[in-house]
Amino acid sequence: MDTILASLPYLLEPSILIAAMIGVTWGILGGAMPGISPSITMALLLPFTYTMEPTAAIVLLASTYIGAEYGGSVPAILIRTPGTNAAAATVLDGYEMNKQGKAGLALGISLYSGFIGSMIGLALLMLLSKPLAGVALAFTPPAYFALGILGLSVIATLSGDSLVKGLIAALLGLMVATVGTDPVTGSNRFTFGSSDLLGGIEPVMIMVGLFAMSELLAQASKRDDINKIRSRPKIEFPGRHLAKRLIRPQLLGAGIGSFEGVMPGAGGTIASFMSYNEARRWSSKPDEFGKGSPEGIAAPETANNAVAETALVPLLSFGIPGSNSTAILLGGFLIHGLQPGPMLFQRSADVISGLYAGLFVAIVGMVVMGLAMLPICIWMVNRPRPYLNAFILALILSGIYSIHGSLFDVGIMLTAGLVGFFMRILRFPFLPTVLGLVLGYLVESNFRRSLVLSGDDYTVFTNDWISLGLLTVAALFIAGSIIKRAAAAWRRDERAAFSEGSEG
Amino acid sequence: MYRSCLLAFSSAVAMFAAAPLQAQEYPVDTVTLVTHSSPGGGSDVFLRELSRYLGPILGATVVVENVTGGSGATAMANLAQSPADGSRLYATTPTFIYTSLLSNPEYSFDDLDPLVNFFIDPEVIFTAASSPYETLEDVIQHARDGRGRWGAANPASLERQSLELLKAETGVNAAVVTHEGGGDLMINVLNGTLEIGVGEIQELKGQLEAGEIRLLASLTSDRIEAYPDVPTVQEAGYDVFVRKFRGLAGPQGLPDDVIAAWERAVPEVLALQEYKAIYEANSLRAEFMPNEEYQAFITEFATETEEFLRSTGVIE
Repeated sequence: MDTILASLPYLLEPSILIAAMIGVTWGILGGAMPGISPSITMALLLPFTYTMEPTAAIVLLASTYIGAEYGGSVPAILIRTPGTNAAAATVLDGYEMNKQGKAGLALGISLYSGFIGSMIGLALLMLLSKPLAGVALAFTPPAYFALGILGLSVIATLSGDSLVKGLIAALLGLMVATVGTDPVTGSNRFTFGSSDLLGGIEPVMIMVGLFAMSELLAQASKRDDINKIRSRPKIEFPGRHLAKRLIRPQLLGAGIGSFEGVMPGAGGTIASFMSYNEARRWSSKPDEFGKGSPEGIAAPETANNAVAETALVPLLSFGIPGSNSTAILLGGFLIHGLQPGPMLFQRSADVISGLYAGLFVAIVGMVVMGLAMLPICIWMVNRPRPYLNAFILALILSGIYSIHGSLFDVGIMLTAGLVGFFMRILRFPFLPTVLGLVLGYLVESNFRRSLVLSGDDYTVFTNDWISLGLLTVAALFIAGSIIKRAAAAWRRDERAAFSEGSEG
Repeated sequence: MYRSCLLAFSSAVAMFAAAPLQAQEYPVDTVTLVTHSSPGGGSDVFLRELSRYLGPILGATVVVENVTGGSGATAMANLAQSPADGSRLYATTPTFIYTSLLSNPEYSFDDLDPLVNFFIDPEVIFTAASSPYETLEDVIQHARDGRGRWGAANPASLERQSLELLKAETGVNAAVVTHEGGGDLMINVLNGTLEIGVGEIQELKGQLEAGEIRLLASLTSDRIEAYPDVPTVQEAGYDVFVRKFRGLAGPQGLPDDVIAAWERAVPEVLALQEYKAIYEANSLRAEFMPNEEYQAFITEFATETEEFLRSTGVIE
């Protein structure tokens, strides 16, 4: 309560209001550009904060993060390309809804869910920072390994018709994740003497290639005017009935997002995939998922927006950045001589209160700016295909190039686009690849770190109760989905045999 | 607030002090200090602070440029192909030696000329405040009796090297666990997964001031001024210390007047009271090395690092 009261006066501080609005607007734009991740969007602003007043500078950066996490869903829905890693799960149902001419509603659900997720995340950040920080500390390397495995168990849901194809796609992602510096010894793996590969291949390049580039290739290879999508450029918020239906996936998303946000290193991508998975599991209409279910947008979008606030918990309480984005934010604090960590709350309580107020303004601002900008976005994707595709190509090429100013990265993206094109032809799903790519490093490094800790004793994974619990849940998920698939296949066979019998 | 006042004050002083010094001519108007660190990263913040004070004394405009990618390989290639007139210089940290040795990039530290050194970042051994270890000897004894669990932030780093050296020197059984940065390491020290971690004082400040961690020993040659009660590892009887340097290097064949200008300017900037207050608050230890000494130092550092990487099987 005191926290809220302390933050109230800052709601009237003009510098904070302006910083929050500029930040969130810039963030939505950056997040919506495929290839520009939230952390790059923030890094671009960093030089401007040197001369700013500390609280306004921090608010500017944190609001950018919130805006970017939301902005990522816009191209996911409109052009089937997630603007950020964490928006990848939104592609599934978001683009389907767009194809059905319901882009306005899809964007409305995403904005509405992002607002709910952000508000829940902010409330948790303000009121429960202390206990939540304890959760982050309880996780040891074996527990992180188990968390990664639990994340990978979602592959079964994302695989679509063929589990084998899903597994192959995931393996592809896991293989790409091994390129770069070995997490334990520090030697180079699969870099072929190239210094460009030293830091590994960033998921964003593969994602942009797989989704956007391959889509452009696929459209270019079709002669006739392909599936024209015409949505009215108007944002529709869900009505009462639909809003009620979205409560469950939103709560799941907010819960999972807040949990993953608090854990350093886990992040928004796992959160959105897992909440998509859970929303489907607990939905009354699971069959709609993948075919344009509003719940399939609500869950991941609530989750990745909740992450943007709760990711501040380990940063503020320990000074530990859990992701690239929060690392930039940490840089913002350090530039102004503020050291995040246990003492920050005592020494610079005014900055914290100002930050909370700024985040609140940014979340409200996100809805306002979203409503103002989205109709323009829909109008843009309604332009004739050739113009739109040329625009998208220019956008992703410049986006990828701008990350490190490197043509090598553009090459990686184009290669991924070609691979994605053939994966489309052979009907391989993309999302398992993204999941493998994002989780591969987390799983591998923590697996090996655990074994270094224990001296190659594998019981380290069963002695840690968090690890044991998560691994058990993952095993149940996997067993459950295999049984479900087997049962479905058996039923099909039986029906086939029955119809044959009746004919004969 | 206090800090911005301090900055405004100190820059005013710097401008005032600069007037007579501007007479000293630096061969070029603008000096670009290139760092492989991204904006807001450790080296970046350090350089931007330094550049404020350096400009007037050097007699040139000093700007900072971030050339990220390839753990410094991109920056090294950029520098090696820059004109050797003192207009572009590279901010060195041990990373540029490690990257050169680990990945044999097209341009390595051999293609650059070390110029001068500014600072040494003191590295310390720390443990959680709640842990039972009061001295470094307690930790070593624990490892001697059974098995130690020690942590370093990154696999190919001076921090890991220092722990491996300590392990070899004491002859105990300890797992040296590497992480993806200082944050990961801190969590595992705080939750008791690891007995000790190694890091720079700067990075540990938040936890240190909050009393969450305890310093056991410093890996420096002498005790750190700001923490006079923390013994060095050498005092504990183990001959291990490391020097995490922060200096400059340039393209090969830097002209003598450029070298002379830096050898004159660096001790001056390090002696500036206002700047001193800032870098000492960050626990940086001024350790000016003139050109010749720095060249020899880098060569020795590279040889030692190469030996370490070979002995641990990281490179062949």
